[in-house]
Parts: sequence; structure tokens; C-alpha cells
Amino acid sequence: MLTMAALALGMAVATAALSVSLDVGDRLAQEFRSLGANLLVTPEADSLPLEIGGVDYRPANAGAYLPVEDLGKLKTIFWRFNIMAFAPILEAPVVASAIHDGRPVETPGNFTLIGTWSDKRVPIPDGTTYETGVSKTNPWWHVEGKWFNDSSRQCVVGSAFAKRFGLLKGDYLSVMARPGNGHVIGLSLEIVGILNTGGSEDEGIVASLDTAQTLLDRPGQYRRLYVSALTKPEDAFARKDPKTMTPAEFDTWYCTPYISAIALQISQELKGTDVRVIRRVAEGEGNVLTRVRTLLWLVTFAALLAAALAVGASAAASVIERRTEIGLMKALGAGSGLVAVLLAAEQLLLAFVGGGIGYCVGIVLARLLGERIFGFAPEPKMFVLFVILSLAALITLLGSAFPLRRASRYEPAPILRGE
Amino acid sequence: MSDSPMFWRIVRRLLTSNYSRLFVILLALGAGAAITSALLNLQIDAKRRLTTEFRSLGANVIIAPRSMANVGGSNSSSADETDARQRTLDEGVLPQLPAEYEGKRVPAVAFLYVIGEVAKAGTLHYEPAVIAGTQGQGLTEIRPGKRTEYSAELSGDPAACEVGVKAAGQFKVTAGDGLLLRNQGRQASCKIYAVIATGGAEDTQIFTSLKTAQELSELPGRISLVQLSVTGTPEAVKQFIANVSEKISGADVHGIKQLAEAEGKLYNRISGLLSATVVLVLILTSLCVMAGMSNVAIERKNDVGLMKAIGGSIRRVVRLFLAEAILMGIAGGLVGSAVGLLVSIWLGKAVFGVAAQPRWIVYPISVIITVIVSVASAFPLRRLASISPASVFRGEA
Repeated sequence: MLTMAALALGMAVATAALSVSLDVGDRLAQEFRSLGANLLVTPEADSLPLEIGGVDYRPANAGAYLPVEDLGKLKTIFWRFNIMAFAPILEAPVVASAIHDGRPVETPGNFTLIGTWSDKRVPIPDGTTYETGVSKTNPWWHVEGKWFNDSSRQCVVGSAFAKRFGLLKGDYLSVMARPGNGHVIGLSLEIVGILNTGGSEDEGIVASLDTAQTLLDRPGQYRRLYVSALTKPEDAFARKDPKTMTPAEFDTWYCTPYISAIALQISQELKGTDVRVIRRVAEGEGNVLTRVRTLLWLVTFAALLAAALAVGASAAASVIERRTEIGLMKALGAGSGLVAVLLAAEQLLLAFVGGGIGYCVGIVLARLLGERIFGFAPEPKMFVLFVILSLAALITLLGSAFPLRRASRYEPAPILRGE
Repeated sequence: MSDSPMFWRIVRRLLTSNYSRLFVILLALGAGAAITSALLNLQIDAKRRLTTEFRSLGANVIIAPRSMANVGGSNSSSADETDARQRTLDEGVLPQLPAEYEGKRVPAVAFLYVIGEVAKAGTLHYEPAVIAGTQGQGLTEIRPGKRTEYSAELSGDPAACEVGVKAAGQFKVTAGDGLLLRNQGRQASCKIYAVIATGGAEDTQIFTSLKTAQELSELPGRISLVQLSVTGTPEAVKQFIANVSEKISGADVHGIKQLAEAEGKLYNRISGLLSATVVLVLILTSLCVMAGMSNVAIERKNDVGLMKAIGGSIRRVVRLFLAEAILMGIAGGLVGSAVGLLVSIWLGKAVFGVAAQPRWIVYPISVIITVIVSVASAFPLRRLASISPASVFRGEA
């Protein structure tokens, strides 16, 4: 019974450790996406952006723009399922005035209106749609109230902006911009939420991409695109220049979700763009992820080792307990070989039953662990069951091999005498 | 205890009567202690190392002027002097910052952003660009990226500047070329010593000395903001921000939310995972030792039967075995924990590339844990209490 319990417990822990570490790599990579976009797409032929603290100070008529209609193609690249989210940005310099509680409020100064998607259904060339937007690429942008609707004249205002002018959600804001051809375009926007980002957006206004396009008279265009992609941390191979690779190497590189490969695939799909890797995010993620993965495998290995020791030791104990029985069998004429086979068969049976029970308990344990730590339950894998059962068989056999050898040398007479 | 010499004599005999068994149990305890101390040490070290690794994400704290308006502004020509001053900080903030926090260096760099015009030396084709004046320690840590070009002999030159990779492409310049900078009639020039690629806004900027930027913008002694890279757990960084904002009045000190939130979440998850696995491994280790001890209990049946037959009370018999367990626990723990610490130093090197520092607190803790496990594993020995001497001597099971 003790052997069985030890076996089941040991294998339960091994199962839990193995399932969690098998799943955790992908999970952690996804967690890292909360750092935000790791790719930035800008027009290839462009004047130099005058960007300070995330705000572009170029006048509206300077620089190049990109077409929004192409964006669905992002989900047609080789690694389309690794594209977690994307959000186009179009910034409009505006002057504003507000209506708070039915009374006008002066809001002097120049502000930046950031046009983007909050949660947009993007049509994809294969006929389906994909939901994405800035609330997915920038999860640290918190909105008190709700996000604006992408197809209506609504906006969220930065927390510093709202505090400065005493604005609340439900108020109205009218914004005016000069698209550069002498016209002045004005729009009235309903404030539906207060945005808190901890960055320069706190002093601006965020509205739908369509609003910014109308204000700048740039229908269907954007200026910058942030893409958040799941990637494999860069290794020595990924740092090679693709231009110097052999065709076989290039294929391997192209079909691995390295960030540089995904960047190349995006620039092939979206014509006239320059796709850059946001190094601080990509490299920071790569560093931490590689280290944590190694660490986890190490700890899993330690857990497996400890489980093996525990099971081996209790298997040994159970054979020693059988001394009298072995003596009796031998006295009745069983050879050492037969005794060893009998005992080994018993241990194997124990290993399969104990391993099976351990696997079931381990799956529950892995669910508990996964849910506590990551808020997800790892899927039970048949592969793990296979590994656990073979491990259990191997360990029990190894653990009982030494006492079995000793048992085969037992002389029946002294044992039966109780010595 | 009147018969204590006898007590210890029996304990000694219990320990030394069967060397191979003693060896097996000590091996089990030692291995357990080694795994315990190695994992505990690695876990503490990994958590600390993780916070260091997160710093490859760049600056995580910003000191900015306590102003509501935007920084910079394309039409700064129309903004009056006082407005521009309000949007900057005094450069005296920088020396006030602590150089170290919790034993780790804190890189801090002051930035002054100017939207000026830039041309390659020898041409008169000026284009608007962001010029960032910088001063302080650890610019590469604040602004992680890679240098695509670098000219070592110019790097010591105070009049040299760095150019973002996009800006370099725009002006068609490489390391060693000269740049002309101007802003509202004021002029400066610099020689490029490096081209940097970060993937962020820095790719489009030109990095000069703070002094050059201050002269160009006519804002002597002013800076736009200070960026810091503070190493520590999320709580420690919060504490740092509180300390600094108390010290520096008139400025807004805040963490970069994007990093703070993601780092906090990841740190908690990873350290939770590590702790959970370590606890599991510890349970397994004690299970292993317990199995070893139950072997002993079986082999001791005859001894116990004899002791009882000659009048030993159960309490005294149990005390004997407890003393044995504690002695073995101490011996196994002392040796095993030491081995474990050594192993963890090597493991730290394998995982993080830097040898893990042994934390000495781990040593006594893992020795104590081993002793506790060893005593708890003596639990199967309690079965001995129910042995009746007569049946043992008859040779029954």
C-alpha cells in the first residue's frame, strides 16, 4: 500500500510539473504581450517623424500615409495566428472646446487627437472578420467608463486633460483641425470614458480612426501601425542576416516565428511599408523568456528526480518486506529467476496502476496550479500519460532491482527461521 | 538521565550496526537536503535576477515637469518663453537622484527635446527633426537597442552625437559624418559617432550633449525629463518612486505603466510557479526519506522485540529511534545542503549566465528542514510500538 501511495503521489507531482512546464512556455509568451506591441509599421517613403513621448508633431500635410484597407492582409501571412493584435494610429493636432453639464468650458491650447480602433471587426481577405484594436495592443490603457465605439462620434479623454478642465463622461467636446488646404473641419464628440495610460496620452484625446481621418481629410489612411506578435526568442541563428543564408537556412528561418521573420512577412504583405522591431520589448521578452524556460525545465527535472528517488526507495522497501514470502517460495522449489520474474511482474502492475492513479491526480493538481498562477488549466496530454507510465515502470524496476538481486541470493532456511 | 551513557551507547550501536543501511539513509537525506538547498537558493536568486533581466526593457521611471500641457510642440515659435520654461525642469534634479538603490546602480539620464532643423554637413538641405540633448549615466540601459554603426575614436568627443537609424537614412549619413543643427537662428554642429536602432521613436532622433540642446533651444539649465531604470520588485520600485518624489518637489515622478503592470504580473506568475514547484519537490523529497525509513522499521523488529522483552518502555524505545533520526538528519543535512549550495551556484550559471550568489540563510534553513523531515519520516517506526515480543521471537511477521 505504501509503495502504491508513494508511486501515485510521486507520479502525480511528476505529471503536474510536466504538464505545467509543457504549457507554460506558450502561456508566458502570451503574458509578455501585455508589454504591448513589438512591431512598428511606418510608411517606407516618409519624412522624419517628429515624435516625442509617443506624439507626432508633424503638420498634417507632411509625410506619407498608408491605406487602412490593406490591414486585413496581416492575418494572411505565414504566421497569421501569431499576430495577437494590431492597431493603426493617425494623430490630428486639434483645438478644442467642451460642454460640461450644458455649459461651455474653455479649453485653451493645442492638443493631440489620437485616432485608432478601440475594438474593431476587421474584414480579412478569406471572408471572415478579426476583432482587434488598441484595447488589445495596449492592455495597460485603462478606461474609466467605456471605450468609444469605432463607428460613432465618441471619444475618451486623457485623465490629465479631464482633470485640468473638470470634464466627466457624458460631456461633449468639439474639436477643430486644419487639414492643410485652408479648410477648417470641426466635429462634436461625446466623451464616453476617461483614459489612464501613465503616458503622454493622458493629456490628449483618443477617438475612432474614422474621426481622425475626417478631421484631417484623409479618408481610409493611417500613419503608424502597432503590431503585437507572439514570437520565438531570438537565438544565434535568428541574428544571422537573412540575405547571407543558404536557401535551406532561409526556409527554416522564414518558417520559425522569429520576430525578424514576422517583420519580413508583414512588409511583403503591406506594400510600401517599413516594419521595425521595437527592440526594448522584443529583446527584454526574449531574455526573460529564455531564462525562465530553462529554469522551469530545471525545476521540472528536479521534481522528476525527486519523484524517481521516492518511488525507487519505496519499491525497494516493498521487496524487503517480502523476504519471508521469497523464502517460502524458494523452499517450495522456485528458482531465483522465477522469484525475480514474479516480483518484477508485481512491481510492474503496481507501476501501471499507481502511475495511472498518479496521472489522474496530477492532472487535477496541474489544473489547480495552472489556475492559481496563470488563470488557465493546462490541457491533459496523452504524451504526458505515456511518459509517466514508462517512467513509473522504469523507476520501480530500477528501484527493486537491487533488493531483488539480494533476494535471489537468500537462503530460504534462515529467513523462515525469522533471522 | 541516569542511564544516558547506555542510551547513547545503544544509539551508537543502532547507527553503526549496519553500514550499508546507514549509507542508504544518509544518501537519501543528503540528496533531499541537496535538492532543498539548491532549489531554495536558486529560487531566491532567480527572483532577484528576474528583476535585473526586466531592466533590458529600458527605463521604468520618469521624472517630468508637473504640467498639464504637452511637452514640446511643433509650433513652439508661437509659444512664449515662460510657457516653454514651465514645460521643463531644472537640471539640478539630476544630481539629487540616488546613484544606488538596494545595492543596484540606478542609471539616470536627463533629456531635453528640441524640434529643430538638421542637415548633413556640406549640404544646405535642412529638414525638421527631434534633437535630444542627454546627460547622465547609463544611456544604453535607459534606451536599449543596438548600435548598427560605431566609431570608437569619436566616442570620447564631447561634441559627437548619435543618430537614430531612420534619421541616418533620411539625411544619408554614416558614422564619422558631420551634422548641422539649427533652431530659430541658433546653430550648432556635431560629428556622428554611432547610429542606433531601437525600433522606437529614438530611431528618428538625434542625440547630442545636453549643453548643445540647451543652447539651441535657449533654455540654459533646463531639461524636459529624466528617465531612470530602477531594478527591484514591483513594490521596491513603488517605494523608490515615493522616496524620490518626496525629495524632489515641483516634479512629477511616475513609473511607466506599460512596464510596471506587465513586470508585476510576470514577476508574480513566475515566482509563484517557482515557489509551487519547490514546495512539490520538497514534499517528494520527504516522501523519499520516509520510504527509506520504513525499511529500517521492518528490519528493526527483532531489536525492538528484544528491548521490550527485557523491559524497555515504548517511550524509551521511541526516544532511541528519535535520537537516531535527529543525528542522521543533522549529518545528512549538513553535508547535503552544502553540496546543494555548490550545485545551485553552478545551476545559476547555467540559467542566468551569472553564478548564483549563495545566500547563507538557505543553509541553516535547509538543514533544519532535513532534520524535520527525518524526524517526521521516523513515523513508520511508531508501528514498532504495537509489536508484541512473543510473536517476534516466534519468527512471525
